[in-house]
Amino acid sequence: MVISEVHYPKDLSELFDILKRHPDALLYAGGTEILREQGGRAVELPETVISIYALPELRRVDLTERFLEIGAAITLSEILDLGDTALPPLLAEALRGIGTASLRNLATLGGNLACRSRFMDAWPVLACLDALVEFRNAGSSAWINVNRLAGQDGRPAAPIGGVMTRIRVPLERWDATALRKVGRRDYPASETAVFALAARGEKGILAEFRLAFAGETALRLEEIEARIIGRSLPLSERERRTFGGEYREAASALPRGLALQFGALVEAALDILAR
Amino acid sequence: MTLPFILNGEDVVARVRSGDRLSEVLRESFKLLGVHSDCRCGRCGRCLVLLDGKLVPSCIVPAFRVRGREIVTIEGYAQTNEYQDLVAGFKAAGIETCGFCDSGKMLAAGALLERRARPMPQEILEQLSAVPCRCTDAEALVKAVQAAADFRARRHFSRGH
Repeated sequence: MVISEVHYPKDLSELFDILKRHPDALLYAGGTEILREQGGRAVELPETVISIYALPELRRVDLTERFLEIGAAITLSEILDLGDTALPPLLAEALRGIGTASLRNLATLGGNLACRSRFMDAWPVLACLDALVEFRNAGSSAWINVNRLAGQDGRPAAPIGGVMTRIRVPLERWDATALRKVGRRDYPASETAVFALAARGEKGILAEFRLAFAGETALRLEEIEARIIGRSLPLSERERRTFGGEYREAASALPRGLALQFGALVEAALDILAR
Repeated sequence: MTLPFILNGEDVVARVRSGDRLSEVLRESFKLLGVHSDCRCGRCGRCLVLLDGKLVPSCIVPAFRVRGREIVTIEGYAQTNEYQDLVAGFKAAGIETCGFCDSGKMLAAGALLERRARPMPQEILEQLSAVPCRCTDAEALVKAVQAAADFRARRHFSRGH
């Protein structure tokens, strides 16, 4: 068994110093995924572990009129404690559906997004809301759209290096939102996936339409969305069938069960826009 | 590694390996056998403890995470007035929890009442979902926690007068 060396940096600058010496260190915040996947009496950890849960830069929450900014080490319970007036309803609903109350006291939003084996429940919602994620290195910072956490192959990807520090969620008005979790609810499994949708109409026109579906792989088809946006509401029967067909075709690479459920959810969403 | 933390109100130091699960450390180093380590994935509710007042499954907390922090197990919580309120509340609702889940349910309900003096039924059920034992029906659990909230409020009121 490897005896790990654990570091407790006081701030980001100290963290970057440690990372310079130990570039392969494991950054540990909530750790729910890391420990849940191991069943032994003790947990196998890499040689160097850095506890980042208490880093002040990762523990801030800022709320403005335009966005909610959440530190990557804020737990899901702490986010829910912000209350329904501060939280986009779609995000609140997604977080309430994750694990149990006790698990949400450990799990962090950054950890939910950083999972590399699959997409966890927050990703589809944050993708629909066009959230941004900040990655920082010593002396530099970059914000990327959360959609870029999905690679070309639809699998989770780390597009740039650095430490995930903040998640910025735009606060916008939505006329229609939907969230559905399919498969096992209590435990992420291969057949578990989350479907999220957000749409907004303005003067009889569909002004925004975003749809994301993710489990082990992610689907966010922005080229179809771009062609739906700007159409008159309600959608015609022909438009409904055309876009439904395009989404079903794009989902054909998913496992059959998930593709069928995705198709049904898309149909239900387009039905709403056609009414 | 040497791990100083506060356990049931006392400063303690444990010699642990960084990957040890907190549940195992509490059982083996401190003989706190009210903490179990059955599922080791945070789902069964048998290992629940309060970490800085928050309910967490100790089987998915590595020991290094509790350095300098405060842990309360059922053994410590049972010494408090708040625990007695819960016992009275559960008795008033006619509940006899099974040996499998009683410590988890007490800690879960206690942590909720610290945050919400008068929790709604949905909040109670959501909180107690951390202990997925089906020995007691949901309606009775809601009554028990609400009764415990009443006992706690009365105790605070009488203490203030």
